[in-house]
Amino acid sequence: MSDDKLFEDGVIERIAGELRDAERPSAGFDARVMASVRGIARARQREHRERRRLWNRVSQPRTITVRPWSVGLAAAALLLCASLAGWGAHAFARMESAAPAAASGGSQRVQFVLVAPNAKKVAVAGDFNGWDAQHPAYQAVHRGGGVWSVTARVPVGHHRYSFVVDDSLWVADPTAPRVVDDDFGTTNSAIVVEPEIR
Amino acid sequence: MRGPRALAGALALALPLALSLALPVAAHAQATANTLSSRLDPTTRVAVQAIVDSARRAKLPTAPLIDKALEGAAKHSDGPNIVSAVRQLSVELGQSKRVLGGGASTAELQASATAMHAGVSSRDIALLRSAAGPHRRVTLPLAVMTDLIGRNVPVATASQVVVGLARAGAHDSDLSMFERNVRLDIERGADPSAAAQTRARGVMLRTAPRAGTRPPGNQ
Repeated sequence: MSDDKLFEDGVIERIAGELRDAERPSAGFDARVMASVRGIARARQREHRERRRLWNRVSQPRTITVRPWSVGLAAAALLLCASLAGWGAHAFARMESAAPAAASGGSQRVQFVLVAPNAKKVAVAGDFNGWDAQHPAYQAVHRGGGVWSVTARVPVGHHRYSFVVDDSLWVADPTAPRVVDDDFGTTNSAIVVEPEIR
Repeated sequence: MRGPRALAGALALALPLALSLALPVAAHAQATANTLSSRLDPTTRVAVQAIVDSARRAKLPTAPLIDKALEGAAKHSDGPNIVSAVRQLSVELGQSKRVLGGGASTAELQASATAMHAGVSSRDIALLRSAAGPHRRVTLPLAVMTDLIGRNVPVATASQVVVGLARAGAHDSDLSMFERNVRLDIERGADPSAAAQTRARGVMLRTAPRAGTRPPGNQ
């Protein structure tokens, strides 16, 4: 069919006319929309009123009667909690000092090596483990050929230490700086552990 | 009526405050006592505890004192010897704090006390502090100084060499290498004093351009 024929028959005019007609809403459509809008407005008003009531409750001046002993009791409870927290933190810090492997930020992994071909047991004792030669984290392992070594965490700082051979012989680390403190008859070694650079 | 009520209120507030201040101290003291009582006999423990408490009041680090006592116990030293060593360390820590100032770390105080124990004077430690500059820790230089003395380098030479290295801007890594080289030289039979002085000159040759100072002459 040509374009001229379409115009002559008025087909296009009819289609355009139907398209121009506004859609007729169903009965009660306006009422439903208005009811919904009013509902939203009411909910917002309710919310606003609640907020205002809460604010008034908080902001309005009022007289509070407090007995001194109750304030004292509350303060005591608060401070007791703070003290216990401080105590706990301190106890933890001390434990950390005795068992440095627990923390990685304030400690570094250090390898201790001693050549002791005739030894049956080698351990490291020092400031960092309470001078406990039985501390499990500081027991050296025989690597063969008389070489004993252990890698353990040592807290940041200056420490004195010594090897303990066969639970009885105290031996300074031959590869570390010496400490001249013969208070207890043996020479110790020194180690300075620096904080980790991240 | 207002007077007694106000007094009661003040007491009610002050009492828990005092309690809260006393509790951590008491808890700390208890923890220390527990650590010491497991390793020391009662008489030694009481004497050591008194020194530790005194150090705490003087705001000195107490962990080195406890460690010293534990070291004595581990090495089966007798009680009076342990108490004497702990007391001596407490004195040296106090002197170190006076020399290095309140900003010194526990590690610095400990290293300084150890150096003093080896014979380094307060004056030389102050010189080192000054030579190193305000922002540098002197823990390692002090440890190297003590090590040299332990390897029979005379105290005056050890102090002079390390202060010189610090003044020349030697880093901790330079000092560690210096200490290792001197140790090896001595183990090979070198005279300790000569080894320390010669190796120090070598370090200064490397660090002088870094510090902007003139390197020493060819000796």
